Amino acid sequence: MTAQIRIDPTLCRGHAICALFFSDAVDLDQWGFGKVAVSVIDSERDLRRARRAAAACPNGAFVVTGADGSVDNGARRPRRLRVRAAR
Amino acid sequence: MTVQPEVRVHPRRGVARVDSLLPGLGPQITVEAAVAGLGDPLGLLLSGPPAGPDGEGLESHLARWSELPPLDGAGVRALLRASALDGRGGGGFPLARKVETAMLAGGRPVLIVNASESEPASHKDRTLCSQRPHLVLDGAALVAVALGIDEVVIHLHRALGSPVRVLEAAMAERQGRSIADPRWSISTGPDRYVSGESSAVARYVAGGEARPLFTTIPLAAEGPSGRPTVISNAETVAHLSVIARMGPDAWSGLGTASSPGPRLVTLTGAVNSPGRVLEVSGPATLGEILATDGMSTRPAAVLVGGFAGTWLLGDDAWQTPFSRDALAAVGVQPGCGLLGVLPHGACGLTETARIVRYLAGESAGQCGTCVAGLPRLADSCESLAAGTFRKRGVRKMSALADTVLGSGACGHPDAVVRLIRSTLDVFEDDVVRHLAGHACRAADHPPVFAVPEPVLAIGRDDTREWT
Repeated sequence: MTAQIRIDPTLCRGHAICALFFSDAVDLDQWGFGKVAVSVIDSERDLRRARRAAAACPNGAFVVTGADGSVDNGARRPRRLRVRAAR
Repeated sequence: MTVQPEVRVHPRRGVARVDSLLPGLGPQITVEAAVAGLGDPLGLLLSGPPAGPDGEGLESHLARWSELPPLDGAGVRALLRASALDGRGGGGFPLARKVETAMLAGGRPVLIVNASESEPASHKDRTLCSQRPHLVLDGAALVAVALGIDEVVIHLHRALGSPVRVLEAAMAERQGRSIADPRWSISTGPDRYVSGESSAVARYVAGGEARPLFTTIPLAAEGPSGRPTVISNAETVAHLSVIARMGPDAWSGLGTASSPGPRLVTLTGAVNSPGRVLEVSGPATLGEILATDGMSTRPAAVLVGGFAGTWLLGDDAWQTPFSRDALAAVGVQPGCGLLGVLPHGACGLTETARIVRYLAGESAGQCGTCVAGLPRLADSCESLAAGTFRKRGVRKMSALADTVLGSGACGHPDAVVRLIRSTLDVFEDDVVRHLAGHACRAADHPPVFAVPEPVLAIGRDDTREWT
């Protein structure tokens, strides 16, 4: 398993929901934009968390990529959100 | 038939160098450092007499260079590998690897020759396209052969003075030749700095806006059109047309071990002829390059690699060879080959502040880091230059630069950070003086670098010209 997480900075608008779902892997800068701190995913649990974060991102900026670099966010829907995404 | 190598004597340095146009010369030939201007017989790309406003005609081009040898795709790919031709647009990525990635990806690749040369002070691609259009077209045709396609897009900025007309005339001239050329098309896009970045060019040519793309897969494997997209700088492909004629070993021998082949540089700033393009071969030092332009004393500092480049103190720069390894040893990349000279008596902090403000205005406005970060970095640089900064301000600026680094979709914010870091490093004494509140010694020095006004246009339909 060589999944990686990436944040598309052209889409990120600083909702910071990824940081709620997967705080270990995402740092927020001073404006709230996410920056990937640990990109390589090495456990099933982290993969689940990453996919949850990807599904929760309102801009589709948070992506999980497979071994060949293609986007593979999984089909999982986000668990019920405790925060409401800003519109 | 055997061809006797012709030996020429360097007119300035009195160094003998084997004429490099002859085929079959082995790698044993070591080349003395040489710097050639347009029309200098020691050059390769720039050899031959200066051409008029229409560029060198096909007849004169073929008389000097003869027809391209008949090569198939595997032959051209072998040339690319053997010569280790590196990209000359700034990134330095080997063209052979781009082509191989595209071939492995499958599907019909797209080939774009990037002649947009966003760097406002750089003139090498403009000079090549307007003076030696057939060298660029020959090289582009060869890359098309390597990729097995019959279509080439040449992308340029819309700016006034861009060599679109020369290239169009050259393409018309080539029609009806015996060697089959690919179908040529010219694409002209917005003049903005980031619009010349390779993914922005690929996106524009594929029908989108001229803004850089966030990619998880290399463009050469899958571009924005869904097809593998190979983008190569105009100088890079021009070199390939020379490699095909003189052989990869002889061509590589004209450079150094780390930087194969000759390289084009543009001079700007406090030089005798700003915008002059020179061809550097062998381990020529920055001092030798600047001496070719008539500079006899070491300048205060040199900005290497472009506006978003790295500063070097004049004393350090003077003895540094213009090769990838030697520059890397002092923390510099050759970039697009721009050498900007800062004279004694001018303020490096002021010049950097002007450049950072320009670069901040030339971002694509897509990523938070450029939208929020770069204008604040430009503010900080201006405060530092104006002497209204305290020590804490510099620490804050450094922290901000750390945040900005690596968080954009393209390399634009990273390049600004690199410039700022090298400024704080190289002009350390000036920083201390500015922080102490003393008036800048160079407060009334006229601007050294010609930094243009930021270009507002970036969309497809915005045709505002760069004035």
